[in-house]
Amino acid sequence: MADREINRRMLELAGFEKDELEAILPDWLMTVERVGLTDEDVRVAVEEYIPKNWDIKYLGVRKMIGAYLREMIDIAKTKEMKENGTKLLYGILPAVATTYSAYKKAGGDDIFVSFPDLMLVTILNGFFHQAAPYLYEAEEQGFTYGCRHCPLNKMRVGALTKGLLAIPDVIWSWGFNCDEGPKTDEMIQCMLNEEWKYIVSRIPHDTYFGQPDDEESRITYLSKVLKEGMDEINDIIGITPSQDDLKAAIAEANRYTFKIGQMVSLVCKSDPVPLGGNTLTQFQQALCVPFNKGLTHIEEALDIMIKELKEAIKKGEGVLPKGAPKVGSYFVPFCIPWIDRLFRENGVATTFSQTLTPSKSQMTPSKYKDDPYMSIAEQWLKMPLGQNMGYEVASMVEKVKANKPDGMLMGFFDFDRWLGAHQKMCATLVENETGVPHYYMESDFWDDRDYSEEALRTRIESISQLLCIRKEME
Amino acid sequence: MREIMQELEKLAKARVPELQRAKKSGKPVIEYTGNFIPEEMIRAAGAETYLMCRGGEPEPTDAVLDYMLRFMNPLARSMAGFMELGLDPVTPIVDLLVTQQTDNHVGRISELLEFKKVNLCKVGVPADWEKEIAFEYYVESLQKMVAMVEKITGKPVDMELAAKNMKVSNQINEGLRKLNSLRTKENPPIGLTEMIRLHHLSFIVDPSVMVQKLEELYEKLKDAEGKFEAKAPRILFVGHALAIGDYTVPRLVESSGGCIVAEMLDEGVRAIEKDVETDGDLLRNFAKNRYRDKTPINIFQPAWKQRFDHIKELIKEYQVDGVIWYQLSFDEIYDMEYSCLARWMEEMNMPILKMESSYEYSREAMGPLTTRIESYVESLKEGK
Repeated sequence: MADREINRRMLELAGFEKDELEAILPDWLMTVERVGLTDEDVRVAVEEYIPKNWDIKYLGVRKMIGAYLREMIDIAKTKEMKENGTKLLYGILPAVATTYSAYKKAGGDDIFVSFPDLMLVTILNGFFHQAAPYLYEAEEQGFTYGCRHCPLNKMRVGALTKGLLAIPDVIWSWGFNCDEGPKTDEMIQCMLNEEWKYIVSRIPHDTYFGQPDDEESRITYLSKVLKEGMDEINDIIGITPSQDDLKAAIAEANRYTFKIGQMVSLVCKSDPVPLGGNTLTQFQQALCVPFNKGLTHIEEALDIMIKELKEAIKKGEGVLPKGAPKVGSYFVPFCIPWIDRLFRENGVATTFSQTLTPSKSQMTPSKYKDDPYMSIAEQWLKMPLGQNMGYEVASMVEKVKANKPDGMLMGFFDFDRWLGAHQKMCATLVENETGVPHYYMESDFWDDRDYSEEALRTRIESISQLLCIRKEME
Repeated sequence: MREIMQELEKLAKARVPELQRAKKSGKPVIEYTGNFIPEEMIRAAGAETYLMCRGGEPEPTDAVLDYMLRFMNPLARSMAGFMELGLDPVTPIVDLLVTQQTDNHVGRISELLEFKKVNLCKVGVPADWEKEIAFEYYVESLQKMVAMVEKITGKPVDMELAAKNMKVSNQINEGLRKLNSLRTKENPPIGLTEMIRLHHLSFIVDPSVMVQKLEELYEKLKDAEGKFEAKAPRILFVGHALAIGDYTVPRLVESSGGCIVAEMLDEGVRAIEKDVETDGDLLRNFAKNRYRDKTPINIFQPAWKQRFDHIKELIKEYQVDGVIWYQLSFDEIYDMEYSCLARWMEEMNMPILKMESSYEYSREAMGPLTTRIESYVESLKEGK
């Protein structure tokens, strides 16, 4: 039986208090056992890992951690949920959360929605540094170590074969970016369990350099693909989101996007920088990942965070002294939170992520308000993640100009043949356009087994020194 | 056989200078990748065509690393790598490079080619191939390609000529199928070393000449003696691609006493399973042939069970003793398929050897590679 005291401290750290804490404690104790977190793992997280790597002086950060922990509790209950007739709908990254949120709105407690692999890696590595056992398990099952597969897909396999994750009623695999994500479901079905039912939706990467991906013809095609996918899901699970559910999900996503934009702007335009890039990106993730609890808890945390940021800015408080250089990233690796810390230890603050910071185009109201499928397709095609390099670079340039970093950090996606492949070229193009220096680090966003703190320290120190020297010269 | 091969090699050698002359004389030159592109129609619009599928050399794969992630498969990296090193005499002079957009490796390398100012046409090939909407997407992509080609050549596709070209392609396929039928013999007169080269030559040499030479070759070989040792283990060769220039592994297998009787590859070979219908809408017929009528390529979804069924058919038809899985390094989707296939092969009690290639065939690499292959062939011999 897990130790109540250390786990109570974990929940306190995550912003739970009083009756709410006592009510959730039994579920949390069940979760740590099922997930395989020992008392020592939790102690290290509470006393060392989280305080060292996350800005927990802010209640917003702690509540954000709490919102994620609630999701892991639900994942740990998926087997009981299934036995009790709750429909399980899984998905994979990258996606937009809207369609899944619509299912949640339609099904309420009768449906569980999650990207469980993403949630597990985010939580287990981001807060406990303990995703590795699942990744090793997947490697034993045939996800070979040497081929550089995606840790998220490994987690999906590992969590299933270790018995944590229930087989879903259906998993909807968006292959709008990624080849390996959807094929993982085929692999599971072929090799591990034939009952693993999936629906795959794809669109080829065939737009030209600089061509807008969100052209009407492409939006129309994708909206049909999405509708077909949803029709199939409706048949399987017997829950059909209404037009109102879809519109409500879109409105909710727009509201959250707006708040994210506000938070990024507050952080990037302040000197000293009041908050690290880890937290910014961890909040941003809710734009493309559904929470089974909906946005209730994460949005509450975000509201608190924005309020706390405004107060910190007013007081002139920062994570580093005024004048410290700021670095933006292609994607701040929040699952490996010590990277943010290493930069900070070297006098550099990490700030926004290119990929999840909304562009002006993303903040613009949809052209297709009356057609939710078109609107969701448009929402996806405006996400830089899936765009051709030229179009993505245009939005990267826009964000660099808006957020004025002293340098940009690229890399961390060495396992990803889409998101990781082109970053060296992007670096050249954006640097030429903005004059902001770009640095490339080969590493893994989700999993640090191959890139330890010591292995990356020298590179981070060098980049930081360069940034500090440049800043001083300015 | 040697004489015919030499004749074909000579003709192939003349192809690049021929393209250079054509370009000088103002005739458009259009390069293309893979089996999802109807080069017969491009020719019928008045362009010279050339297949981009070179590989087997490590330097071009390294040459793109300033721009590209290193964990991309070497075939995709070679697409830009030869040009980067100045070793590609064709791509820099082409008016258009038509690429089939099947996976992320090709997708991102295509962007590198755009970055290098190569004029590209991208044909979208959705992986969810069983859906009607996806098939229509592919057809529409082909229609857009035709429009781009016609703009470059300044002429519409001559559909009569296109149908004629397609018929000749079907004849080439028939020639290769007939040669394959000889590989069912107890001791085949031809192995993969020659067959793969014939596939490659068929993309380069004048198609009508190729038809004739394949027929001649069949006539010579149909009653010829086998080229392998008696009772040599019969091997099925499965993988992504054997590129033009990537001949080391099949040659080593066959020189180590293995007899490769059949292959299942997604690229670098002609799609010979079924011919394209030449009556009616040729473009749709072509699309149907490539997208729906043949064994799905690895990236299609679902695919692996159908591919396994096809492998089982080949094992039976060619009386296979063992399988070699030839994987390009960092080809993640093939790596996943292998895990499934290895499990299924084990259930069938069929030996399988996984070989990975980064196109690194240095002296240091060849030793262990030869030993692995020899050991496998020996174990198959013992099993027999």
